[in-house]
Amino acid sequence: MRDTRGLGRHTTAGSEASEFIVLKAHQQAWETFAACAVSMIPVLKKQMEAVTQQTQRAATDLMTHISALTLADETSRSTETAAHLSQIVMTMQFQDITQQKLEHVAQALDQWDKHLQALLKGPQDENAKQEIAALQRLEQSYTMEEERRLHATALAPDYQEPVPIETEQTEEDLNSVTLF
Amino acid sequence: MGKTALVVDDSPTMRQMVAFTLTKAGFKVVEAEHGKDAVNKASAGPKMDIVVTDLNMPEMDGISLIKELRKMAAFKFTPILMLTTESAIEKKQAGKEAGATGWIVKPFNPEVMLKIIAKVLPA
Repeated sequence: MRDTRGLGRHTTAGSEASEFIVLKAHQQAWETFAACAVSMIPVLKKQMEAVTQQTQRAATDLMTHISALTLADETSRSTETAAHLSQIVMTMQFQDITQQKLEHVAQALDQWDKHLQALLKGPQDENAKQEIAALQRLEQSYTMEEERRLHATALAPDYQEPVPIETEQTEEDLNSVTLF
Repeated sequence: MGKTALVVDDSPTMRQMVAFTLTKAGFKVVEAEHGKDAVNKASAGPKMDIVVTDLNMPEMDGISLIKELRKMAAFKFTPILMLTTESAIEKKQAGKEAGATGWIVKPFNPEVMLKIIAKVLPA
């Protein structure tokens, strides 16, 4: 009769080793998430601070132009009114801009949620791997240069703005207009 | 007879701002919520003299909208201005290749927008 007394010990040791590998992978996945989340928190905070500052600036600007409109005298009314109305229309667009910025923050939070759900299922799950990769692509959702700049600033506090090259600017450049 | 503008943006605030600017300048404005809505209105509606469109929209984005409009005989030479928060060079290049006439980065200045429109509208 064959001696199988040692086989049980081998099997136990084998399953313990594979369990250890799974646990290690799980731990690594959580650590990756934690590292990513920790780096994203200041980014999201900075994006939200920018929204607060923008709404504050918009409210102040609107009040300035509305006050000026009510104070404009008869002689200067038509030209001044047109200029103040233009500024009001320009300022009012803060709503669209801040909405987009907050949508991008919400997208990042949704991605966190998906990532955490995936981690709870286990790091070996195929969807989990995709969700984990997606969190690192937050920057791709940005549409504004300001968002990209804030992202870079938050991730690298010693980030320096590129020095602009002095060129002759036309009215179109100053107002961000490009004609093809 | 006044000219007609097609204004395409998923943000009601932005549509309102652009419509206010253009109406004050004498345009009749047709509004659309996204690219698909704009294509439907462009096919069914009156002749449009100019199109002002956002880039990022649900259903159909601004680039796809321009490509669709350029396929239509009535829009082959119609000026189309992209009005967007996006200022990346590669996006502008994509807009140019799709057939955009110009690119305005939000927030827009109404006086500047009207000057640009006057420049691109055929006399």
